[in-house]
Amino acid sequence: MTLREKVESNHFVVCGELRPPQSCNGDRIRDKARHFKGYVDALNTTDNQTAIVRLSSIASAKILLEEGIEPIMQMTCRDRNRLAMQSDLLGAAALGIRNVLCLTGDHQSIGDQPEARGVFDLDSVQLIAGVATMNSGFLLSGREMKKAPEFLIGAAANPFGEPFEMRLIRLQKKIAAGAHFIQTQPVFDLGVFTRWMERVVDMGLHERAAILAGVMPVRSAKTLLWMKERVPGTRIGVEYVDRMSHAHDPEQEGVTMAVEMIQALKAMRGVRGIHFMPVMWESITPTIMTEAGLHVAQ
Amino acid sequence: MATDSATQSRQPMGAGERKLSRLLLVVEDIIKVPLFRCQRCGECILSSTAFICSQNCPKRMRNGPCGGTGEGGSCEVFPDRKCVWYRIYVRSEQLHRVSLLFNRMKSHSWNLEGTSSWLNAFRKRTEAPVVFVRNDRQRVKDIISDDAARKG
Repeated sequence: MTLREKVESNHFVVCGELRPPQSCNGDRIRDKARHFKGYVDALNTTDNQTAIVRLSSIASAKILLEEGIEPIMQMTCRDRNRLAMQSDLLGAAALGIRNVLCLTGDHQSIGDQPEARGVFDLDSVQLIAGVATMNSGFLLSGREMKKAPEFLIGAAANPFGEPFEMRLIRLQKKIAAGAHFIQTQPVFDLGVFTRWMERVVDMGLHERAAILAGVMPVRSAKTLLWMKERVPGTRIGVEYVDRMSHAHDPEQEGVTMAVEMIQALKAMRGVRGIHFMPVMWESITPTIMTEAGLHVAQ
Repeated sequence: MATDSATQSRQPMGAGERKLSRLLLVVEDIIKVPLFRCQRCGECILSSTAFICSQNCPKRMRNGPCGGTGEGGSCEVFPDRKCVWYRIYVRSEQLHRVSLLFNRMKSHSWNLEGTSSWLNAFRKRTEAPVVFVRNDRQRVKDIISDDAARKG
């Protein structure tokens, strides 16, 4: 079953996330991908996340295809103008990539090359609309294509940023622009997420796009604090930091926390799946997925 | 099939119009640069953003905040500053102009940078500004329910 079929039917969707290496070593991708195989429906390949140069998301997605895993190619607006985006999208479609996640992208100043020029020709809402236009058979110039790509369009949502209502307006815009599925930031504050999800259901947005809640397993309290400091747009409940710092076996505690989170999210109204992001800890995927009782129907 | 881009921006400017644009821009700059820290994008959306220039955002977002806004609405790039869109939302509420935030802004036409936005709006290259908003609360409700009815 493809991701599109799962999103369009009523299956519970499990996505993973793979971060390509900072070198041309494609075997690193194959090694990491092995941990996810059989446990996720599709795997995101990040596009220079946190503005640090990595092996390209298109090439990584192609490697995943070769490994028999369905990729979701991430595309940010930071590094490309609309011409490069359209040509990369056409190239990706020709390579057999069927899913694209449209992001604005972290600002270059938070990465390790802050002197770089940011492009930001389009923003993510405009990119979503652009991909939808291409799906309908036209380039942004208005030229008709002989063959249209058929992308399943993803977008990101941050339920934790403020002001709360503005985040919902933005989500509404993304879905109206043509997003089929939404991946959220990792949830570390169930209270805020629940409130956000209730509003999403109120607005009827959960019926128009599949909402996939972000889950990130962490190994230590240090990781949590690092995320709070360095990863834009994350919000971390104090209770999680406490739990991690007082645990005898932090790794085991991290697994338990992730499993509990998955179960809480799965039970929540409007949540259509999860987006699993084991950053630097890909090998834990089978353990957590098995404990959480998520088996992917092939 | 219309594209998302503001295709009207391709309407060429004659020599006379270019002159007029430069002249109007002088006046526009005198007013808008000190008042709004106008970035002279030539495609003014101030009226939809509660009169705060969204182009002061480091990513020049035209459709709302990026995912990097932190707790308390801080900017991803300058954590000690508030996100431009945080301020836009707060003021939109005060001025009862929240319904305008639902407008999906077309891709920016960079070829209009440094031209007079007043002339561009007058010549219908860009959309006309919205002056008054009545029944903002009801409009927001209508937008949400219309949209929900559309589905998928």
